[in-house]
Amino acid sequence: MSALLSPRVLRGLLPPLSLAALLIAIFWLQPRTMSYFGLNLLLNLAVPIALATIAQMFILCVNELDLSIGGFVSLVACITATWLHDTPLLGIAALVGLIVAYALLGALIHIRNLPSIVVTLGMSFVWLGLAVLVLPTPGGKAPEYIRSLMTLKPSLVPFPIIASVVIAGVVHLFLMRSAVGTVLRGAGGNPRSLERAGWSLLKIKMSMFALAGFFGVLSGMALVGLTTSADANIALRYTLLSIAGVILGGGEFVGGRVSPIGAVIGAMTLALAGSFLSFLRLNPDWQIGAQGAILIVVLALRVLISRSEAKR
Amino acid sequence: MRTFTKAALLATVAAVAALPGQGAWADTSGKRIALSNNYAGNSWRQAMLRSWDKVTSQAVSDGVVAAADAFTTAENQVTEQAAQIQNLILQGYDAIVINAASPEGLNGAVQEACDAGVTVVSFDGIVTAECAWRIAVDFKQMGKDEVLYLADRLPEGGNLLEIRGLAGVFVDDEISAGIHEGVAETGKFEVVGSVHGNWAQDVAQKAVAGILPSLPEIVGVVTQGGDGYGAAQAIAASGRDMPIIVMGNRHDELTWWKEQKDANGYETMSVSIAPGVSTLAFWVAQQILDGADVPKDLTVPFLRIDQDNLEENLANTEPGGVANVEYSLGDAQGVIAGAM
Amino acid sequence: MSVTSGPIVRLDGVEKSFGAVRALASVSLDLMPGECFGLVGHNGAGKSTLMNVLSGNLMPDSGQILIGGEDVTAGYTPQTAMRHGVRCVYQELSLCPNLTVAENARISHPAVSGIGWRRAARALIGGKLDEVFPGHGISTDDVVGDLSIASRQMVEISRAFAVTDVAARVVILDEPTSSLDAVAAEKLLKHVRRYVSEGGTVVLISHLLGEILDTSDRIAVMRDGGIVALDEASGFNRNSLVAAMGSVAEGAAQEAAEQAVIRATAPVVVSAKPAAPESLTLAAHKGEVVGLAGLAGQGQTELLVKVFDHAAGTKVSGAVSLVAGDRQTDGVFPLWSIAENISIGSLRQFLDGFLLNHARAHAFAEEWRRQIGIRTPDVAEPILSLSGGNQQKALFARALGAPAEIIVMDDPMRGVDVGTKQEVYGMIREQASRGRTFLWYTTEMDELRNCDHVYVFREGAIVADLAHSEMTEERVLHASFRADA
Repeated sequence: MSALLSPRVLRGLLPPLSLAALLIAIFWLQPRTMSYFGLNLLLNLAVPIALATIAQMFILCVNELDLSIGGFVSLVACITATWLHDTPLLGIAALVGLIVAYALLGALIHIRNLPSIVVTLGMSFVWLGLAVLVLPTPGGKAPEYIRSLMTLKPSLVPFPIIASVVIAGVVHLFLMRSAVGTVLRGAGGNPRSLERAGWSLLKIKMSMFALAGFFGVLSGMALVGLTTSADANIALRYTLLSIAGVILGGGEFVGGRVSPIGAVIGAMTLALAGSFLSFLRLNPDWQIGAQGAILIVVLALRVLISRSEAKR
Repeated sequence: MRTFTKAALLATVAAVAALPGQGAWADTSGKRIALSNNYAGNSWRQAMLRSWDKVTSQAVSDGVVAAADAFTTAENQVTEQAAQIQNLILQGYDAIVINAASPEGLNGAVQEACDAGVTVVSFDGIVTAECAWRIAVDFKQMGKDEVLYLADRLPEGGNLLEIRGLAGVFVDDEISAGIHEGVAETGKFEVVGSVHGNWAQDVAQKAVAGILPSLPEIVGVVTQGGDGYGAAQAIAASGRDMPIIVMGNRHDELTWWKEQKDANGYETMSVSIAPGVSTLAFWVAQQILDGADVPKDLTVPFLRIDQDNLEENLANTEPGGVANVEYSLGDAQGVIAGAM
Repeated sequence: MSVTSGPIVRLDGVEKSFGAVRALASVSLDLMPGECFGLVGHNGAGKSTLMNVLSGNLMPDSGQILIGGEDVTAGYTPQTAMRHGVRCVYQELSLCPNLTVAENARISHPAVSGIGWRRAARALIGGKLDEVFPGHGISTDDVVGDLSIASRQMVEISRAFAVTDVAARVVILDEPTSSLDAVAAEKLLKHVRRYVSEGGTVVLISHLLGEILDTSDRIAVMRDGGIVALDEASGFNRNSLVAAMGSVAEGAAQEAAEQAVIRATAPVVVSAKPAAPESLTLAAHKGEVVGLAGLAGQGQTELLVKVFDHAAGTKVSGAVSLVAGDRQTDGVFPLWSIAENISIGSLRQFLDGFLLNHARAHAFAEEWRRQIGIRTPDVAEPILSLSGGNQQKALFARALGAPAEIIVMDDPMRGVDVGTKQEVYGMIREQASRGRTFLWYTTEMDELRNCDHVYVFREGAIVADLAHSEMTEERVLHASFRADA
């Protein structure tokens, strides 16, 4: 029985409990949201955020940080709304190229032992510049199949919920349960030990960055599916949202301690926090601060739990 | 010009007043209208929100509508505003008036609103979704008007300096396109230099000061608003003859113009969109809810200031603000009738 | 299991240097199947370097490594070592703290993969844990970061002994019992014997001479990068091991009488006792050089810091300044000049109002450069233009230039060449004769000879109090190792 309430279990329960608390508050403030239609509207924009958060999680898992994911998702969105729509082959080639570019970034960071913050900060401007080149003025059109996927109305359960569960589940199976995923996570925990056991850290870093690129691409495509068109600045917010999402979901900046399920929950929590504050009719000048306050409260709870754990 | 517009509007109001269905204010008394705004960080937007507040609170207390709330996103981002619009749908508003962060990026959310039976009226920053109404500023025409005015004043033509807005924003592209169209049409001007002033006087001043040494003599400066005063400062500092700088209704621009006018009879014109256009959008939304037949595409009249009504407009403009006018239901009906 | 009678591993003339320091001096060694090979030596004798060479983490500068008769020297990496069945349990743990016990097993056993790998990994590590440490109380699904240090050590050891596709032929255990309790240590050593009796080879490195003597078949003693004694375990006893680790007894102290006088007459300026129970108390008299001896990391630095902080439980009369041991992290300001590095310790002397008088600071640095012979044409040069030894001299100048009466030194001579050392020793003696008091932590026996009084540390406590006249290497070593071990 005591095992059920151990700090570790509590720490694991914190993200879903925060999400549940927020949902209940929203249902109470705005009962209209407690419907298929309401949940759909409330959560659909959380899907691309969740995908970007997963991308960020792969990077954080190997003790790096990606400050370019927002710019990257914007670029993907621009490519999706233009090339992928008009000349699918070119579009696919470009998106695959972007994933390869991400893997090469990982290699560069590892081989030259560069701080990823600096490299990705620089890359964020590169991505943004490319996005403006691809789509100088807002516009473009989402490919039909992406649009119809993102606006799918399955019976019973709203699409955003199904999508979130699938994303979290698939990544969880891969990263947390598979033999390969274990090695990838180990690289965040103790890279030296991995190297001594004969694994190539270079390959691991490249794989993690490529995975991040892959999910960044998915995020951009999902976003365009929702907005129907793109804009070079469309996803700049995602950089900070994705980092906050991983941390909110129970991940840590170092040590390979991440959780895909937590990351998706964290992304949804952040998306809902915005809605919650707007339902509260809070002055917009206070909203960013209030969003930060929600983050601080959840993280403070986590620190409290960890402290009680350390005391034992 | 302004007085003329007003007169024309009043005339159409009189005509519309006779139409059946008019005056049924009670029909919208239970309706709720929301303003979704993406940015509040400059004087124009502040004035826009103030006008909205002034006109709609009167309308609410008069019982025209049940509520007219303004929402501004915390950050000027497409994704933020899309989420905000979806939240407004969930809050059960009957109409959403939008000043959009992107003409295309919000179409998904706008479509959701339309599908949920919400009336969507966009203005200034318009959206392209087919189901939404647009109260567009003909920015292209604005740019062209500037050149036409200069052509009038300078029959023998000459060199022009163009000050552009924020790169990558469609308003900038539109105004610039209009300017270049005007130049091509009149055939007597050449744009010899182009800098980005970001609609801010300090940026414009730096940019103009930077490009001036490389320019031949210029006879006119075409601007986008907010940048005229900075341009004047930079040119004055260079010791060149003051060209005709087209102004953009900002208080600092009008003040400088007034000083020059008093000192040496300097003559120019000033044109921009009145921030009160939000109130026009409000009345249009109210009319749609009221069941009026409103075309999807409407055009906002410009607020133009000329040599003779400069003092009057300057007196009505707050320091740091922009010349403004608030629209009435009658004005809205006039605009609607004009587009039919 | 190899059944050949030849050596399973042969090291032939292996040498390794780090800069000017010779860590391994032509070591030759045969490891036979079915033996436990004990390896002992003082800190810095070269044991860890030797094991890092054997496990592929360090490339030898010269010499050969043969495994099962095959020359593997060229391109020898941890991977090749693993392929040949050489496993190593490192002194610092090498588990991933964010993974579970079973997942960690998967990291070092790539053969565990595919569908159902988790079950296989659980069975692998769980089975080995049960075998080596029955009653260990560790679940294979525990996250390693949540385990105690002892449990982690058990997992790490079991992981090294576990077998998947490649047999574990040689297992190197570097201080494996240091974080285990007596019961677990006993279980481990029993397992080592069992494993050896089945034909495996274990290299056991330990400071606990008792367990080395009881468990090993053969024992090698290392000193100064070379093997100085190698024999059947039965040929050694505790005393002969300690004797072999130290150098031959040298000439006794000549100044003994003089020092005794200081102790009798000068007042005590520092009195401090480590937190550990049953510890002696350190006392330093004015004008004395007091040595803090023992193996590395036995609480010497902690006590120095307490003295420096004037912490509760210490009696310190006078200001204290410190000479850091780790120059790179605790000592020099790498971007500053030599003059700035020297004068930072006594800036208050150069204040004109609240501004710094740079000319005076520079003159002060110049004076110290001359006094202790820092080899540089100009003290305005950057500190990194100096050799390691001269950088250390600058740090001494910083400490000695400060008005402090008491100087604490945290193993300050690490990586300093012999000539510089002699100069610094002279400087310390000279300063001591002027009435300054030195507390000097060092792991080098030679340096202890420069001390008037030596306190030996073990496991956080002071266990021996030796006057200069009583101080011999043998006595220090004896005190450094547990009597019951």
